[in-house]
Amino acid sequence: MSGLESYINHTVSIITADGRNFIGTLKGFDQTINIIIDECHERVFSTTAGIEQIVLGLHIIRGDNIAVIGLVDDTVDARLDLANIRGEPLGPVVH
Amino acid sequence: MLPLSLLKTAQSHPMLVELKNGETYNGHLVSCDSWMNINLRDVICTSKDGDRFWRMPECYIRGSTIKYLRIPDEVIDMVKEDAQAKSRNRAEMNKNRGGNSSQNQNQRAPRSGNRNGFGVRNGPGGGGGLGNGNMRPGPSGQGNRPPAQGNKLRK
Repeated sequence: MSGLESYINHTVSIITADGRNFIGTLKGFDQTINIIIDECHERVFSTTAGIEQIVLGLHIIRGDNIAVIGLVDDTVDARLDLANIRGEPLGPVVH
Repeated sequence: MLPLSLLKTAQSHPMLVELKNGETYNGHLVSCDSWMNINLRDVICTSKDGDRFWRMPECYIRGSTIKYLRIPDEVIDMVKEDAQAKSRNRAEMNKNRGGNSSQNQNQRAPRSGNRNGFGVRNGPGGGGGLGNGNMRPGPSGQGNRPPAQGNKLRK
């Protein structure tokens, strides 16, 4: 069984091939790693301002476009002070 | 839950599709297949930079060009209903075939039966036939999509 099974109904952080970061609840996936994320929001990093969160809702992300899926510890995540975190945005995957 | 079942459930709903090239397409989903190829109606296409727009009555998008799809929140609950209806059907099937075995493993019986037991299934006649119909992934009887199209898709 794929290791993703244990992430179902947990908060995950997705890094996509274009360098974006989506956070949400993993509701499902298939053999090509297409995934369903519920209550999805995007975190936009910047060096000049805090992390901006954009609420997106229910998403299907195509597997082709997914680079990393990480399990998020909700308690740690809740402690983050997003407004005061600076960081360079990721670039796209270079093939 | 499978992403493609969610997509199938989203038929007739509005959605936003972003392609790998950054263009976005807003429209109502008409149909989709197992490659994620999709048909949209009443489409507004937005260029990558977001400052040019095109309206088109319909379009067809090759699944492999899609980056992601944004779907109305309520659709995920409709899939759950689908799944519940299916498991209800399965439970009924098990009741019908209850005479065959009384073990709890019976819950899995339809699946293994499908693979190994053609002879067994043909035995009970009508009951088996019904069960067979319910096993198909497509026609879960929710009636949201036009049956003719659904059938075409499955070919």
